[in-house]
Amino acid sequence: MAISIKNYTNRFIVVTILIVMALWAAMFYAVIMEEVYDNIDDGLKNQKILIIREVYRKPELIAESTEFGVNQFVIRPVENATEVLDENVFSKELIYMPYDKEEEPYRILRTGFYDATGKPYYLEIRTSTVEEDDFLMDLAISLLALYSVIVLSILFINYFMMGHAWKPFNQILKNLSQYRFGKADSFVAVDSQVREFKDLNNHISDMIQQNEKVFDSQKRFLENAAHELQTPLAVSINKLEFVLENASLSEEDMIRVVEAKRSLQRMVSLNKSLLTLSRINNQQYASQEEVHMQAIVDHALTDYEDLIAYKDIQVDQEIVSDFVLMANRDLMQILVSNLLSNAVKYNTQPGKIRITMRADSFTIANTSADGALNPNYIFERFYKGSQDHNSNGLGLSIVQTILDKYSFLVIEYRYENNMQVFEVKKLM
Amino acid sequence: MKVLIVEDELALQAGIREFLISEKFVVEVASTYDEALDKALNYAYDCVLLDIMLPGGSGLDVLRAMRDNLIKSPVLILSAKDSVDDKVAGLEIGADDYLAKPFHFAELLARLKSIIRRNAQDGQHLLHYKNVSLDPELREVKIEGMPIILNRKEYDVLYYFMLRPNKLLEKSTLAETVWGNHADQADNLDFIYSQIKNLRKKLKTADATCDIQAVYGIGYKLV
Repeated sequence: MAISIKNYTNRFIVVTILIVMALWAAMFYAVIMEEVYDNIDDGLKNQKILIIREVYRKPELIAESTEFGVNQFVIRPVENATEVLDENVFSKELIYMPYDKEEEPYRILRTGFYDATGKPYYLEIRTSTVEEDDFLMDLAISLLALYSVIVLSILFINYFMMGHAWKPFNQILKNLSQYRFGKADSFVAVDSQVREFKDLNNHISDMIQQNEKVFDSQKRFLENAAHELQTPLAVSINKLEFVLENASLSEEDMIRVVEAKRSLQRMVSLNKSLLTLSRINNQQYASQEEVHMQAIVDHALTDYEDLIAYKDIQVDQEIVSDFVLMANRDLMQILVSNLLSNAVKYNTQPGKIRITMRADSFTIANTSADGALNPNYIFERFYKGSQDHNSNGLGLSIVQTILDKYSFLVIEYRYENNMQVFEVKKLM
Repeated sequence: MKVLIVEDELALQAGIREFLISEKFVVEVASTYDEALDKALNYAYDCVLLDIMLPGGSGLDVLRAMRDNLIKSPVLILSAKDSVDDKVAGLEIGADDYLAKPFHFAELLARLKSIIRRNAQDGQHLLHYKNVSLDPELREVKIEGMPIILNRKEYDVLYYFMLRPNKLLEKSTLAETVWGNHADQADNLDFIYSQIKNLRKKLKTADATCDIQAVYGIGYKLV
């Protein structure tokens, strides 16, 4: 699953801060402990000097200090004086403390001295020191709290700041999704002070302009080509008509000429369809009025009545309610005519056409021997069914192009009960 | 009847000219904007066939100049452009009809005749062939003075035959001119056959001396 950029950086921030804080905590702990022991040791050394001075002044103190008392030191005579005595040895030991009722860490200085008579003594001074595990625990808890606060703050700031900072980006995305090919002005540039977004905006606008230009010139090319073909086609067809008037032509030759003319005629109809497509795209059917689909269907049925009768097609109409919409009348006529034309052309003989009119949809269905069509292709230009020689493959493409003009209309194709069903309906 | 053909495509112009001459029209031609303006403003025609895209200007401007100079000659616009806007503009300026290229000569003739008929002062517009007469104004067909009842399509078919008796009318031309554009994509044109059959029957029952003859694989002619 894709993650939003707002949260994308978060996992890195969370991990990085955790590592940085752990390293920092380790260093901080080491430095603090160093400083604490340094202070305590200095205190112990100072106490040693004070004790030795006191012992010089009052030698009876030696006998009184063989056990740890309130003064927290002991003095013991040395049996064999070969050892070096005045060396300071520090250590840490756990000693029972009645207050806490448990073993607590003590810092202990072991050293020695010679009294005024030159007799050697051991001296052991101890003092309560920092409880490292408690300290470590406290440090960890406070750091954890700090970590949480920092991370939460960052997430919080990220969420709102990034949300705000990326607003233009989201707007650009939204505008892009509203962009319709062939309509350059359907992409609205987003005004932003952020350089990256400005660049993005400009690049998208440039790209759209470029594409539109290419699309436009292709459209013009298609239109011009179709236009330019009209005259030569007209001339060729008219010349052939002259030839046909010539009574001296043999029947075979006449049929050949007629066949040639029919081919040209197909080209004419292809050309007309292409022109219709480009005209729809060129906004030549911009005017709108209230169109009653039932009237248009009735009119189209009259146009096709002879063909329908000839093919022995039964037309069933179910009018629940008239489908009334704001659209261009000519386009709706082309739409209905193309759908009906297909329903007649690809029908069985005898066959059925079922037309259903509702307030928000219009369905035309025809019996067919072809089976389900591939809905991914049927609306494409020049897509033709398997054995179809008389179609130019543009009928449904024109239907689709017309519906593209009206964003509130869609066409759905389905195959049910051996019938090809096309439904034009209003989006709710 | 005198017709001016304004068309810059010389091949097409020659074709129309030849056809109209064979239909007993008196034909003049113009192939540029200036030439068209000159002829249209200085001579009277029963109809002007006007192309829109001309070297030197637009056919619509020729039409405008004619109407500004109160020249009432009817105008049939012939255009390769076949765009809705052009059609609307042309008809608004005062064209009588609009025919998109390419067209069948049969259709050109039908439109031309109906324009001329509508603009003619005298009521002499009946079509006669043998003992059949057809009144395009009333859409009425009489045989030996006795009216016969034809449906809309049958009448249209007969009208095309009566315009050019003895001339071959192709099935595809009939389909397109009578049944409209949608028929040209019909997978077969056999449906015309049943219409022709009915029409023949009606003509025969009414003792018409003319008949519609099939030219195998191609079309029909009125003989």
